Amino acid sequence: MKRIIIIILTCLLTTMAVMAQNGLNINRLFDGRYKKAAGATEIIVTGSQAREIGLTVYHSVSVTDKTQAEIIENLVVKDGVQAVDKEVEYRNGQLYYGFYVLSRQHSSNRYIFFLNQNLARKAPKNNVTLIYMEGKVNADKIKKLIRK
Amino acid sequence: MNDFQHINSPEGLEQLIERYFDGMTTVEEEALLRHALAHCPWSSDAIDEAKMVMGYFAAHSHQQRQQTIKGKRQLFISIAASIAIILAVGGYALWQQQQPSDVCIAYINGLVVQDDDKVMGLVADDLNMMDHAGNAMSDQLSSLGEALELDNE
Repeated sequence: MKRIIIIILTCLLTTMAVMAQNGLNINRLFDGRYKKAAGATEIIVTGSQAREIGLTVYHSVSVTDKTQAEIIENLVVKDGVQAVDKEVEYRNGQLYYGFYVLSRQHSSNRYIFFLNQNLARKAPKNNVTLIYMEGKVNADKIKKLIRK
Repeated sequence: MNDFQHINSPEGLEQLIERYFDGMTTVEEEALLRHALAHCPWSSDAIDEAKMVMGYFAAHSHQQRQQTIKGKRQLFISIAASIAIILAVGGYALWQQQQPSDVCIAYINGLVVQDDDKVMGLVADDLNMMDHAGNAMSDQLSSLGEALELDNE
């Protein structure tokens, strides 16, 4: 009986832990605020189209507004603290490029890409892009995906 | 009762057995008889018969205990199985809820783009852009590595 209770409690605690884990800081940016904003592009791809590129979720936001760029960078950096692996490049104290491998969730790998083209050396552009990707693919395959 | 308090011979036990089958024993005597039969080393027709009868009762009560334990175990297993099924069904429902439905949409300056090819083209552009930035970083690292190698030569 004790064993059964322990198993049930373990299952419940695990479920609660998984449910408590779901919040990423960048999720705040995907609340629809950029859907109607000028100078912003938001892309959402899930389901069959996402599966064609080996993902389950593709969600990106690109903005030209520099104040928004700062907000995005801050949230990305916050999530980056929890990343299990990352490649980042700072320029003039600002995040220029970031590739973050987040902890797995619901047996899916999660990745964040960030690029601030304002800080590009060659042909800087007033554009900041954030991409969130989720899927079974590993980090190497994600990198191959962006090289296609 | 006093005559049988200390049964120290088969004859004494047989007398008690006889009284038991005649329905003359008290509750205390019955308890004494059970105890004596359970522990005595003697054997005779009367003693063996009494052992068998008492043994039947002992076995019967053991069987009842076993059935009770079995019943309780089955109840626990049923409860555990029910909880496991509820968790599995709940988990599946949660998983289903989390499975993204087919969405392929882009919002550009407030305009909605729902053409799959166009949206996937935008995705490719995003990824290319990241690739260039990633390559720039790799190139920078390579250059740094080459510079260090040259410096060490």
